[in-house]
Amino acid sequence: MKRFFTFTLLVTLLATASFGALANEPTTIRVWFADTAEPLMRAVNEELLPAFHQAHPDIRIEVDFIGWAELSPKLLTSFAGGVAPDLFMHGQAATAGFASSGSLEPLDAYIAQSEDIQIDFGASLDSGLYQGERYMMPVYGSGNLLVYRADFYEEVGLDPDSAPSNWDELREYSSKLAKKAGNRFLREGISLGTSGTSVQQTWSTFLWQNGGDLFSADGQRPVFNDAAGLEALEFYVGLMDNEISSPREAQALGNLPPLAAGTIAQQFTNVETVKDIENYAPDVYPQVRVASPLRQVESAAWYSFAGFFMSRHSENKDDAWTVLEFLTSPTSLEAITGALNGLPPRASLASAPHVAEDANVRAFVEGLSAARFNPNIPVWVNARDQLSRQLERAIFGRATPAQALETAEREILLLLQDQ
Amino acid sequence: MAVQPIGPQRRKLERVALLFIAPVVLYTLVFRIAPMVSSLYLSFTRYNALQPAEWIGLHNYVRIFQSDLFWTALKNTTIYSLEVLPLNIVVSLALALLVNQKIRGIAIFRTVFYLPVVTSIIAVSMIWLWLYNYDLGLINTLLEYIGLGPYDWLGDPDLALHSLVIMRVWKGAGWNMVIYLAALQGIPQQLYEAAEIDGANSWRRLLHITWPLLRPVTLYIIVMGIISTFQTFGEIYAMTQGGPLDSTTTVGYLIYQQAFDQFQMGRASATSFVLLGIILALTVTNSRVMADRD
Repeated sequence: MKRFFTFTLLVTLLATASFGALANEPTTIRVWFADTAEPLMRAVNEELLPAFHQAHPDIRIEVDFIGWAELSPKLLTSFAGGVAPDLFMHGQAATAGFASSGSLEPLDAYIAQSEDIQIDFGASLDSGLYQGERYMMPVYGSGNLLVYRADFYEEVGLDPDSAPSNWDELREYSSKLAKKAGNRFLREGISLGTSGTSVQQTWSTFLWQNGGDLFSADGQRPVFNDAAGLEALEFYVGLMDNEISSPREAQALGNLPPLAAGTIAQQFTNVETVKDIENYAPDVYPQVRVASPLRQVESAAWYSFAGFFMSRHSENKDDAWTVLEFLTSPTSLEAITGALNGLPPRASLASAPHVAEDANVRAFVEGLSAARFNPNIPVWVNARDQLSRQLERAIFGRATPAQALETAEREILLLLQDQ
Repeated sequence: MAVQPIGPQRRKLERVALLFIAPVVLYTLVFRIAPMVSSLYLSFTRYNALQPAEWIGLHNYVRIFQSDLFWTALKNTTIYSLEVLPLNIVVSLALALLVNQKIRGIAIFRTVFYLPVVTSIIAVSMIWLWLYNYDLGLINTLLEYIGLGPYDWLGDPDLALHSLVIMRVWKGAGWNMVIYLAALQGIPQQLYEAAEIDGANSWRRLLHITWPLLRPVTLYIIVMGIISTFQTFGEIYAMTQGGPLDSTTTVGYLIYQQAFDQFQMGRASATSFVLLGIILALTVTNSRVMADRD
């Protein structure tokens, strides 16, 4: 009997000790960052995490950095396997797909608690809007604007301070800037995307500038196959007439973007490419300028945000929000956007050093006033691929612009039927 | 004949034998058979891995055969396979004949020719991306010296697939070279000696002795080649992502796109079973044709 009591006492003591230890264990919040850039990893591991852990000893952040290319497959399998992270970063294009499957936690209730978030983020919060609910806290933005070399403008007698403002001027400038030797371009007047998502992004920009749109307001019907869309695609294809530009995608020479290498004079590209030029060709960078969004019927440019989403399956949503609030605070976003050369989603960060001190980055931030976004609909990723595929066919002359748009519309209608 | 009763010793032995094969059986059941059965079921469902699967019967299969992209991918895969297989056989046999010579330092050549096989497909793809680079690539630079080119090897829809074929032959030839080498060394020397006495030159010896005796090995190489080329994925993913203009989209790459870009796991599973059917049909036909010839 004595032995039994001793044993019971020991077991009770051990159980109490372990429960006590468990009670003191900090909650772990798993976060996936969607990039493997070294400056980002340094900023997160050396600045943000220590600061957070000091302020919140009861919460522990476990971070993984996943490359963009592997992000979707990894997320998909982690959700399917029931081991999804509490918070993960993704592009806004993923919003509808994940939200419609019930994998995301709406953030409106949390956002409503903070006036600072509502005011400072402003419209960028709507980039993660799906069926009236917000699912994404934006982290950084990117957009496509016309970037050009001022020295090439001067060389052909164009004013480097006066970039093209509409399609006619863009064509005229590009034509003047092109330089050929026989059949080979020494310098393309302009380089436009010829494959994948860059085709869709550039053509959508022309479409919006021409007063058109991709989908109806309710997201139920593609509306791009109209006069505005056709004219935009004809203009796009017309620029690749082998006198101004070729349907061959301009290639980087090692780390050197083609604009820095001087193989092209103008390009619709993003702020990351502009910063790459600064990093890899600092002597060329003073010649690089960013134009305001072009205006045809209206002024428009393609923009997109990446941000953090919260998994609906997170067991510690309030703690996850605490982490999210920290990661999207002005200090954290300054570190993250600075590391990734991204556009800050908070208005207050317009004065951040990496924005304020660089006229080109400022131009991208100013361009946000004409920003247009891809639609947040569940079939978007698939629809975008179908659309890009058909646009590519038109660019390579395998279909007329009218045929390409018609086929794209038909394929997307099938997708909508199947969803 | 009366059936002999099984003694306790025999039973014990059988139990031990079962115990020994159990891990392999379990592995095959859990990691081979079960995923295949599960994938077959998924091919009849709408499933995005985020929501429960919904039974839709043959709809995925109907959509696959209605899709232009599937037929483009199948055409590309067939062309790719038809170009890679014969080229690979010719190159690997030539290499095997070369390294079958008894000369000093031949092991170094064998190792060098085999090196691409053991190199990761991603690393190889990166090297070939450089070789094929339009502005700086070695191939265009050399061609321009002799007044040809430049060619957009991976950016031109008419060239891209053939450029990948060249790379694949370069990467895979070493593997088949080793197989051919082993087979060559198994051919009795007396046959060559007898033919030589009869006045057969080296070309006739190759044609009438070596090639016929290599037929079983060639059948093996063709069968394995069909299976492997029809599942090509790595170099497409690393070098062209199916472009330009879907000219390098293979069925293997299409399955990846459906599953992990478009979250259509059900459709991807159905495409996988269509691919399985095609490979099976080709393999059986090929084996029968070769067996009939023998």
